[in-house]
Amino acid sequence: MGLISGHKGNIRQIFSLGLHSAAIIAFQLALMQLISIVQWHHFAYMIISVAMLGFGASGTLLALARERLIRSSSWLVPILMTISGFFMIVSFEITRLDFFSFDVFLLFVDRSQFLILAANYLIYFVPFFSGALAIGILFIKHSRQIGTYYFSNLLGSGIGGLFFLLLFGNIMPQHVPAVIGLLSVVAGLISLVKRKALLHLAIVLLAVVSSFLLMRTQDRISVSQYKSLARALNLPDAEIMHRQPSIHGLIEVVSSPALRFAPALSLNFTGEVPVKKNVFVNADFFGVVPHFDVKADSHILDHTTQALPWIMQGRNKVLMLNAGEGAPLAHAFAYNPERVDVVIPNSSFVEMMQQEFAEESGNLFLHEELQIYAIEARNFLASKPPQGYDIIVLPQQGTFGGAAGINALRESYEMTLESFDLMWNHLDQDGVITITTWIDYPSRASLKILATLVQTAKNKGVADPSAHIAALRSWGNVTFVLKKSPLSPEEIKNIRGFASSKFFDPLLLPDLQKEERQQFNVVGDQSFFQYIDQIMTGDEEIFSDYGFVIRPATDDKPYFSQFLRLSQLRHLNEIFGGDQLPFLELGYLIVVITLVQSTLLALIFIILPLLRLRKSQKGKTGTLLYFGALGIGYMFVEIILIQRFVLYFGHPVFSIAAVISTMLIASGMGSLTSGKLPATAKTTAFFGLIVTLFLTGYLLLLTPVMQGTIASPVSLKILISLLLIGIPSFFKGMMFPLGIRYLSDYDVSQVPWAWGINGSVSVISTSLAMLIAVEAGFMVVMGIAVVCYSIAFLTFLFHNLFFRKPHVMTGLDL
Amino acid sequence: MSKQLLFSLMFPILLILSIDVYADDQERARNSMVRQQIQARGIGHQATLDAMRNVPRHLYVPFPQRRNAYDDRPLPIGYGQTISQPYIVAFMTEIVDPKPDDKMLEIGTGSGYQAAVLAEIIEEVYTIEIIRPLGEQAKRILDVQYDNVYVKIADGYHGWAEHAPFDAIVVTAAAEYIPPPLVEQLKEGGRMIIPVGSPFQVQQLMLVEKGKDGEISTRSLMPVRFVPFERER
Repeated sequence: MGLISGHKGNIRQIFSLGLHSAAIIAFQLALMQLISIVQWHHFAYMIISVAMLGFGASGTLLALARERLIRSSSWLVPILMTISGFFMIVSFEITRLDFFSFDVFLLFVDRSQFLILAANYLIYFVPFFSGALAIGILFIKHSRQIGTYYFSNLLGSGIGGLFFLLLFGNIMPQHVPAVIGLLSVVAGLISLVKRKALLHLAIVLLAVVSSFLLMRTQDRISVSQYKSLARALNLPDAEIMHRQPSIHGLIEVVSSPALRFAPALSLNFTGEVPVKKNVFVNADFFGVVPHFDVKADSHILDHTTQALPWIMQGRNKVLMLNAGEGAPLAHAFAYNPERVDVVIPNSSFVEMMQQEFAEESGNLFLHEELQIYAIEARNFLASKPPQGYDIIVLPQQGTFGGAAGINALRESYEMTLESFDLMWNHLDQDGVITITTWIDYPSRASLKILATLVQTAKNKGVADPSAHIAALRSWGNVTFVLKKSPLSPEEIKNIRGFASSKFFDPLLLPDLQKEERQQFNVVGDQSFFQYIDQIMTGDEEIFSDYGFVIRPATDDKPYFSQFLRLSQLRHLNEIFGGDQLPFLELGYLIVVITLVQSTLLALIFIILPLLRLRKSQKGKTGTLLYFGALGIGYMFVEIILIQRFVLYFGHPVFSIAAVISTMLIASGMGSLTSGKLPATAKTTAFFGLIVTLFLTGYLLLLTPVMQGTIASPVSLKILISLLLIGIPSFFKGMMFPLGIRYLSDYDVSQVPWAWGINGSVSVISTSLAMLIAVEAGFMVVMGIAVVCYSIAFLTFLFHNLFFRKPHVMTGLDL
Repeated sequence: MSKQLLFSLMFPILLILSIDVYADDQERARNSMVRQQIQARGIGHQATLDAMRNVPRHLYVPFPQRRNAYDDRPLPIGYGQTISQPYIVAFMTEIVDPKPDDKMLEIGTGSGYQAAVLAEIIEEVYTIEIIRPLGEQAKRILDVQYDNVYVKIADGYHGWAEHAPFDAIVVTAAAEYIPPPLVEQLKEGGRMIIPVGSPFQVQQLMLVEKGKDGEISTRSLMPVRFVPFERER
């Protein structure tokens, strides 16, 4: 008897469950992207975490009204799927109405925004709640065949992720929910029954008409007025010249005669600042459409500190990492190098520059000396043998005026110590690494960059880093250069000459005198120089004493732009005030807020069913421990694997899709297989142990294995990935259905509660994992995942303790 | 009949009284703002303090924000712009050291509040706003209140050459570069002030000074000074 046979009557249900699950995952991903376009990534996170608590809430409702819901399941489940689909189609558009339009920047200045935020939560909550309720009802109703149903759920989810990628790369983002919602509508239709058919069909009609109308709209998504795209469109005669969806995000090119490009331009520049079309990805500034003119004798960046490495000496072999801004590339070619390698992960941007904007850019991206690599910088550095570059250029850090910490939780593997180590290996004997940052106050980025350069030099055996580091400061930027060999007298002379001609000040030179540091640009807070000198002299105390995180990022904590120290919040609040503090480091604060609100809501959803369950004499500790541990453990592992494989493959979007899909599909196969196994405590404990051992293996071996094979051919890496992800996921996929089946025999009234716990805890896990990764590193996150699965294992190993049955009086007791 | 007369008289009287009370409230709030947010933080330039007391800041904020007009924070005015925190406006005004016969240029009229404060002190204020709706709104208010403020809706990059040079330039709509024409239009010995920060938080103020010989120097000023750590007592 096959795994699925014997369920012919339920084949339609199983298929519709898979389709509906695909829609839910695809919708979740679509929502992340859409809200990231309208607001920012972390805020998308915040909204979706509450919306996903629909899963937890569905479990609560199921626990409180299980019998009634199961009785009505034949007509209720299809209608719920259709309702979920309808709200997937319309919810984003509803939140774009003026009344519901929310702006995260205004959250801290206009208290009424909290109400609007709450309304947004509710609007997005509905599709997830109704969708999860449909799934939950099916799981509870068919708990003894949970293996098959869970398989369908996981397989569908895995396919949903891939479907989302397909859509997002090919149709306009605002149309994506209209397509995805139809999947759920179809899923509901597949299971259509006679009872309540009219109601069902009415909702179907509403959904289809809505989808059709939304697909026809050509309106642009209106974004937060504080996003750089919105500000560019406020300029006179601003128009969007080009718009294209891509898997990297929505790319838009804006032109306006008022859009110019000259970051931190020298104050003695008297020429005309060039007008440039600006490129935005997800409504955030990405770069400019550069213009390469082979006849031009200078470039605008020659009048900024970014020219520092170029005026030191000639550069023939150039590497530009994550060089999104086209201008630095054009700048490099102004010096006639023999070869330029440029790493730009956003392949859609490259294609656009090679096609639509080829002529305007002077065919820069088709230059015969240019080699483009559409992968992540780190992957490039790790997979290539040492190339002997004269110069390695990193992308400019920060934003003019500060990014308000919006990028705090973006992994920047190109900015870790391990990355700088690799860069050093790629340098020629006299080669340099250069990086420019906008000056921020309080100082953060410049200090962290310097700390990274100093540590890199020390790691490479340099006794005196000060002989290898130069830095130049303007009114707005600081440019650092780390040279493999000591700076020569001629280079130092060139730097001084360049600085004084442009009204820049040397910040670091081997023989720098103090009075040279502020000839043209006086710093308001003189302690900046004290911090710089402390770092140069290797004073480690500054890392623990300073009010922000300026210790170099590592692969284990690759959050270069994360500066906030939670322990300093009170102190910062005293200085800046509660109204201003969020704009200093908003990104990280949003994650903290997300965690707090998710946890509070999740606790309510977990505790409420206990009101009903208190009637049961059966022990509940086991259920809480087991399903809670699974919820945390599974998500933590997923997050770790995503991080590791983004680094491994160098394609963030591909890597995320590959990890999620492989995990879900392999888990689905495990779930299906579990149907053939007895759902005993012994079996469940056994697989818990297997998973714990695999994850312990991850802890010890994942990083070395990946580091050792990162330069291998793609086909081998794919095979390694399938084994590394697929095998443990297979066993992990067994644990939830085995637990549910055990619980069905133990105390069926706890099954919905288990579903709710798992759903609620999964949502908390995402922001919790992020917080732990930032504060303690990825290995700690993995360690906690091991602990979680150990708890799951131990819960069933000592099942008599945790799944306590009430003592039944017998004649012997009398 | 007498009751009707009474009520019909009462209404306008109450209206006038409420306006009066409202006006008094706003004045009290304004005085309190100057005392607690500006003077208490060390601003001592008398002309600036007088100007901040005189300019009805609440007229320059959007209606939904009026009740917050005298709060110690910036407020949104639409189009991704803000009206600066009162302290920052006072700080910038004091820094440019306005004198009665000065002529100043402002890039980024925004709400018009900074221009109004300057207009209280100096002879001529020229202000440029690139976003038309904002510029028109500010012009409507400023034209009623002042006859020495000239509003232009244009790209501030080019400054206002016809009226240059300027004793000082306030660049409230700061960009990644300082337009060369603005530097050119600054008098020798003149000052340019540029707030640097995100929409709701000014990190620092950059003062650009043009020396007698045309040499340009900058100085960054911190409205809020950061002390790096707090040691446990």
